[in-house]
Amino acid sequence: MEGAKGTLSADTSQDDLYRTAADQFGAALERLARAYETDPDKRRDLTQEIHFQLWRSFQRFDARCSTRTWVYRVAHHVAASHILRERRVSKLVSLEELDALPGKQPASDHSLNLERLAALIQQLKPLDRQVIVSYLEEMDAAAIAEITGLSPGSVAMRIHRIKNILARRFHEGGRHAQ
Amino acid sequence: MRNDSSQNDPRKVWQAQPTEPSMITLEKIRRKVRDLNAKTRRQLLGSVAVLLFVAVFYAFGVKQFPTLRLPFALPIAWSALGLYFLNRGMWPQAMPGDAALSTGLEFYRHEIQRRRDLLRRTLLWSFAPIVLAIATFLLAVAKLGDKSLFPNALPFMTLVVVWIVAYFVIRLRERRDLQREIDELNNLEA
Repeated sequence: MEGAKGTLSADTSQDDLYRTAADQFGAALERLARAYETDPDKRRDLTQEIHFQLWRSFQRFDARCSTRTWVYRVAHHVAASHILRERRVSKLVSLEELDALPGKQPASDHSLNLERLAALIQQLKPLDRQVIVSYLEEMDAAAIAEITGLSPGSVAMRIHRIKNILARRFHEGGRHAQ
Repeated sequence: MRNDSSQNDPRKVWQAQPTEPSMITLEKIRRKVRDLNAKTRRQLLGSVAVLLFVAVFYAFGVKQFPTLRLPFALPIAWSALGLYFLNRGMWPQAMPGDAALSTGLEFYRHEIQRRRDLLRRTLLWSFAPIVLAIATFLLAVAKLGDKSLFPNALPFMTLVVVWIVAYFVIRLRERRDLQREIDELNNLEA
């Protein structure tokens, strides 16, 4: 049975665990894939790979952490490996560096905002990406720390920086659109 | 009319993005497992086939140039060992089942370290025997004593040298970038 944070008992079968997790987090996993891959075909492949690895991982699931933490860890691991395989790491920036970069053309339309948001995330190094995606999925600092392995203080600092960057860029977008 | 606060809230924008209904089924996943196993077998057989081809090529060289037995035999042994060491360090098609026990930081650092080590192993076990084999080949051509071969072979040899240098430089640069990334991750914990 699902708990508040999506906890499942360890004796549930691998298929059942996967099915429940896919139902509950399927849309979030698709959004996560968008944060890592711009190309739609590659993104579809990445989503499939995440689902495949998720199913495999549930063979070892022992309920030591919540299902949500488990699912997001697997998904981010697969996505980080994807970035490494594509050899893009050297072109990525940290949150500090992103803060210093100038924003692109502003836009007010909702879909354009999403594209701008995705484009902004896709510039980030994997660990910062994990933090921002988790933040956008409404997770608190403790949950993000559990997924990423960063200290809660470090996560809080990053979230603060993310909020500043996003607010500034989206606010600029809205202002220019008026 | 759209609500301004939700329009400017990145979390709302992010979560409101359209998603496709999932086409992934358990049957598709099981098929992928079977495909993956078949692909791994094919890759391994392919590696062995390449090694056999190289061995036959060198065996021919040894027969033609008995005095160059050692320089020809060395790349064979080196390549054979490389086959083992490289396959051992290849990117796994599937993550370890317990990968979710690692945090993002641990897993990412481990993956970069593995990637960096793989680059080193590729240079040592794949690139180096190829360079040695090419050098042996050139030595064999020189032993033939036919001076007219050299002007004809010059463009090819130049290309080979350029390829070797470019490959080496690119791989070293890649390795340096990965090391920098590892250092940054280590600093996060310091």
